[in-house]
Amino acid sequence: MAEATAPPPVAPTVDLTVVDRLVAEIGGAPEQLIPLLQALQSHFRYLPPEALRRLSEITEITPAAIAGVSTFYSQFRHQPAGRHVISICHGTACHVKGAELVTDALRRRLSLAAGEDTDAEGLFTVQPVACLGCCTLAPVMQIDGVTYGHLTPDSVGQALDDFLQLADRGLLADAENGGRDGSGLAEIRIGVGSCCVAGGSLEVAQALEAAVRSLAAPAVLKPVGCVGICHQTPLVEIVLPHQPPALYARVQPGDAEAIIRRHFRPRGVLRRVRSALTVGLDKLLTDESWQPVTRHALEVRDAPVCAFLGPQQRLATEASGALDPLDLDDYRHHEGFVALRHALKHMQPEEIVRLVTESGLRGRGGAGFPTGVKWGLVRAAADQTKYVICNGDEGDPGAFMDRMLLESYPYRVLEGMIIAARAVGATEGLLYVRAEYQLAVQRLRTALQALEAEGLLGDGILGTGLSFHLHLREGAGAFVCGEETALIASLEGQRGMPRLRPPFPAESGFHGHPTLINNVETYALVPWIIRSGAEAFAEIGTERSRGTKVFALAGKVARGGLIEVPMGVTVRQIVEEIGGGVAGGRRFKAVQIGGPSGGCLPAELADVPVDYEALVGAGAIMGSGGLVVLDDQDCMVDIARYFLEFTQRESCGRCTFCRVGTRRMLDILDKLCTGGGRPGDLERLEELAHAVQRSSLCGLGRTAPNPVLTTLRYFRDEYEAHLEGRCPAGKCKALINYTINDQCVGCTKCAQQCPVQAIPLLPFSRPEIDQEKCLRCDTCRRVCPVGAVDVVSGPSVEAPLAHA
Amino acid sequence: MPKLTLDNQEVTVPAGATILDAARQLGVPIPTLCHLPGRPAQCSCLVCLVEVNGGERLLPACGTVATEGMTVVSESAEVHAARRMALELLLGDHRGDCLGPCQGVCPAHLDLPKMLEQIAAGCLREALITVKQRLALPACLGRVCAAMCERGCRRGTVDAPVSLRLLKRYVADVDLAAAEPYLPPAAPPTGRRAAIVGAGPTGLSAASYLRQAGHAVTIYEQADQPGGGLRQADLPAEVLQAEAALILRQGVELVSRRRVTPEDLAALRASYDAVLLAVGEVKSNSGATLGLPAGPQGLLAHDYALLDEPGLFAAGSTLSPSRHAARACGEGYGAAQAINAFLRGEPDYPREDLLTVRMGKLSAEELAERAGESSSAARVTPAGGEATGFSPTEAAGEAERCLHCECAKLHACALRAQAIRYQAHLGHFRGDKLPGHLDLTHPEVVYDPGKCIACGICVRLAEEAGEPLGLALVGRGLGMRPAVPFGEGLAGGLTRAAAACVAACPTGALAWRQHLTADSACTDSGEDQDER
Repeated sequence: MAEATAPPPVAPTVDLTVVDRLVAEIGGAPEQLIPLLQALQSHFRYLPPEALRRLSEITEITPAAIAGVSTFYSQFRHQPAGRHVISICHGTACHVKGAELVTDALRRRLSLAAGEDTDAEGLFTVQPVACLGCCTLAPVMQIDGVTYGHLTPDSVGQALDDFLQLADRGLLADAENGGRDGSGLAEIRIGVGSCCVAGGSLEVAQALEAAVRSLAAPAVLKPVGCVGICHQTPLVEIVLPHQPPALYARVQPGDAEAIIRRHFRPRGVLRRVRSALTVGLDKLLTDESWQPVTRHALEVRDAPVCAFLGPQQRLATEASGALDPLDLDDYRHHEGFVALRHALKHMQPEEIVRLVTESGLRGRGGAGFPTGVKWGLVRAAADQTKYVICNGDEGDPGAFMDRMLLESYPYRVLEGMIIAARAVGATEGLLYVRAEYQLAVQRLRTALQALEAEGLLGDGILGTGLSFHLHLREGAGAFVCGEETALIASLEGQRGMPRLRPPFPAESGFHGHPTLINNVETYALVPWIIRSGAEAFAEIGTERSRGTKVFALAGKVARGGLIEVPMGVTVRQIVEEIGGGVAGGRRFKAVQIGGPSGGCLPAELADVPVDYEALVGAGAIMGSGGLVVLDDQDCMVDIARYFLEFTQRESCGRCTFCRVGTRRMLDILDKLCTGGGRPGDLERLEELAHAVQRSSLCGLGRTAPNPVLTTLRYFRDEYEAHLEGRCPAGKCKALINYTINDQCVGCTKCAQQCPVQAIPLLPFSRPEIDQEKCLRCDTCRRVCPVGAVDVVSGPSVEAPLAHA
Repeated sequence: MPKLTLDNQEVTVPAGATILDAARQLGVPIPTLCHLPGRPAQCSCLVCLVEVNGGERLLPACGTVATEGMTVVSESAEVHAARRMALELLLGDHRGDCLGPCQGVCPAHLDLPKMLEQIAAGCLREALITVKQRLALPACLGRVCAAMCERGCRRGTVDAPVSLRLLKRYVADVDLAAAEPYLPPAAPPTGRRAAIVGAGPTGLSAASYLRQAGHAVTIYEQADQPGGGLRQADLPAEVLQAEAALILRQGVELVSRRRVTPEDLAALRASYDAVLLAVGEVKSNSGATLGLPAGPQGLLAHDYALLDEPGLFAAGSTLSPSRHAARACGEGYGAAQAINAFLRGEPDYPREDLLTVRMGKLSAEELAERAGESSSAARVTPAGGEATGFSPTEAAGEAERCLHCECAKLHACALRAQAIRYQAHLGHFRGDKLPGHLDLTHPEVVYDPGKCIACGICVRLAEEAGEPLGLALVGRGLGMRPAVPFGEGLAGGLTRAAAACVAACPTGALAWRQHLTADSACTDSGEDQDER
């Protein structure tokens, strides 16, 4: 008799009155389908078939629409989920920092077999997400609302334990809400680049650690790589929620306590969470490995990189760090609504369009279409009904510009939209924001209510005749919805499948009416342009790319974060002067710009300026502003494979070239990365890439081959090495082996940490790794204190170093 | 009313018309798979790509609205290549056989599935005609053929292959025993004359098909009886005599006991419009005795035509040695097609298009799914022993064991038709076969998602028909397929739109479950179920 088996999952009875209630609240029109499904899922934690049937019975939504839409968006689950959902980020920054190894470790820890996503006890469900938009914490996972960053394969277990402890003690709400009420964990970043260490940063770190402990400051200490201001070492940066990051230069151990006291004066609001945090900190800060499991409040995830670093210029992110996102008075003090007032009371719609046109502003969503021209087209359309839509469906893995702008400057984006409504003659507007961006969604809801209450939205705005009603819609997980025709289909409650343009939305968009769609950043720039004038904006930047561009700087860079630079600065300036160069003393190899539609530029081409045309010339695109720095440990074939896997997964499926073609490209890349490449594969890959680029229906498909084409162009030697079964960067698991060199001191740390006992526990002797058992999880290399673990690839893999 | 230029022809179309509309107006053939006339374009298959205004991008003609002054190129080399690639991508993971594997491996490419269907329906005369379209000597072959077809038969992986050879023999024996055996009709006389050297299976077969094409045919044979190698085979002499006699009754002249020397050959070439050498195996030296260049295998020819010898053809073992009687017959058929084209002055002959996707090995589950549609009886052995052949009941029962692997819409499949037209290379972008199980819940229609190209036509037709449940495109990307909502079967989704969906589906994904009704089986023109 088997007695140890888990009890069979009992299908809970589905309370169908919930469906009736939600339909009564939300409405039953076809375009409400996605909000309805979201509400159902949030109640049942998945979409029970009975509930979907009920939905079709009591609304005018057809069964076909429900089946089609609920299976299109990755947010929707059709199987019950475990009690807690672990969203593990597979964004670019997380990928290059080992998200795959972390996922493997997590799945091992939960004993998930291939194809399973929920553990036997039904406690955790693991779901990969395209990007959580907190790239500087990579690799990241979110358990329910709690974010864990800087994960490693060996720290995943600690994170799960930490979460369960929080849950046991009923502290989840605190951990989740940390960001919202301003009591989140702060980060104390200390440079541990070679210059900083030389300047005594390790001693400073110890002093800071002691001060944090004695004062019970709600902070985690985070060692960061070189910050690029090497003459000022050691550098300490304090990153607090709602506050500008503070940078201290030439810090001495004796300064530590004063610094901590200055930022962490005991306050009532903090005391509430202190006890929980202290327990956490004890564990975190005594960890010898300096790679503590770090739990983050939502807000601390990506603070803007300190404003004075490098050639930054802040327009869309004006008043960075000085502005309370939801404080209307604060916004007004920072010239908020000056532009709106001026545009409504002193400018004719045509003048606004002309001003925007003359400023040279181009769409910041990626393609760079002249914004003024688009506004003019919508303005000129004869239809009485027009819409203004804000595209906040930032789907690029490795990008978080929209999230940061919406979270930090919601009023600015809304002000831009109201001005646009006036300019094009629209009375209705929609904001489409990724559902993953919960904080942005919450802030926008609050901001919309505030503006309505103040008479800045609704009928008769600012006492003028302008009426503009804005509605917020959450996306449901589909990268392709960043494409404007797909976004409109999604807003209409359909599957987010792009259609052929023309007609463009300016002519026939939402419900067939002329529709203006701009990106978040584009709208955020509008108030500045109205206030400062077209010339002031046009003076910034290059001949054809005017103004500034916001980038999400992440990856192997010492200092990641949200930056805003004038067009025309070079990629190298961004990486080195703002980002502080590559972290950990590695070699700057390449930069990935523009996400899945963009390309990889090698370090040699890093002097290319930030300019739409210049970037396209180099094989990349401006994109929406994701900028992921890669070092010599990043395999370019793996990067190409990573992006293809992404686009292939996100392909809507409409057209043959994208649906099947990207898959066949991925097949080839998979084979290359696992040692199955054959002669002719590179040529076939190129043939497919060009065909997909040339013949796909929408922008997603046409740009999907870019990461492959640029890596083939600049790093062909790496592809050729993979054909020979070699991964020069030591990244592709099937092509590498771990070996132990004679630096080994026999400390047995590797053997103790190895999750599969592939390393014998032999004190004071150099162990040999069992290549059959080895998972290539990289744990041994990470924990080795003396760098005795080598990654080898190539023919020598067959014959690991011989020793007795 | 925009005016545009399409392949250098000017055309004016109504406002809002697409490039495809313009092409149809001009009679320029642009292929489509996913297009439903009169409805908005799906832009899914992209085999209608065209070049527009010399742009770098290729655009689907079905969804691109024609504008004033537009210049469209519909068949450049690049367009052709892109369309071919779209087809290759669609076929690369297609899970289904076009031809039954039996037909694919038969050297004469006999349409065995159709023959079985006709036998099962009791239409023996039609079954014989099906056989004789490829095989001029079926009673002989039914006795001596190596039956490659049975080795290819997928039923063999369930229990035992269908007894294809004996069924073929049964059909032929019934015909030979009839008062008036079937005589294939001949086309009107062409006035052209062909000589055939050798009355073996190749020569006899070629003679039969050349006569059917309307040419005068004379066979020269060195022995006193026709039959060649078949005369040594394990075969009752009267069967061979009877089948050879039937070919002669078509109006073929036989000159026996006549050995053709190189000098004779020259004379034959002077007095006939075409000469076919079907003399059996030629050693390289004996090839020289005919005064013709030979390689190690035999005479050197391309598509049966001897190199640099206009009007002189060779086939069968004369080109490369084979002891396979079915191959010999197939060669006779092929050579007849080539000679017919030559005699009619046509540059090329219509090759039998055998393009077929191969499903490969099926899992036990998949086999069971398909086997459920056919008779579960064990392979029948004739009660009177092999020598007597099948009784009518035995034959019908055995024919019903066929799994019908062949595509129900072989001739109606737009995907295959375009793949043939664009010479698509099936293996070029091969991927894992599409997943999915047959949906057999509907009494009349079968849905095979492995053959679906996700064009969405059925989804739209179901919606137009006001189906209560209908179909939805479910999932996204590569896994996207039509499915009935809420996990129901096809029976729930197609209550009134089934016929329209089967007719419009561009592949065999939606097809009638019954391949042929008794009525349609008994009309020999039967282009499968396509016309139903």
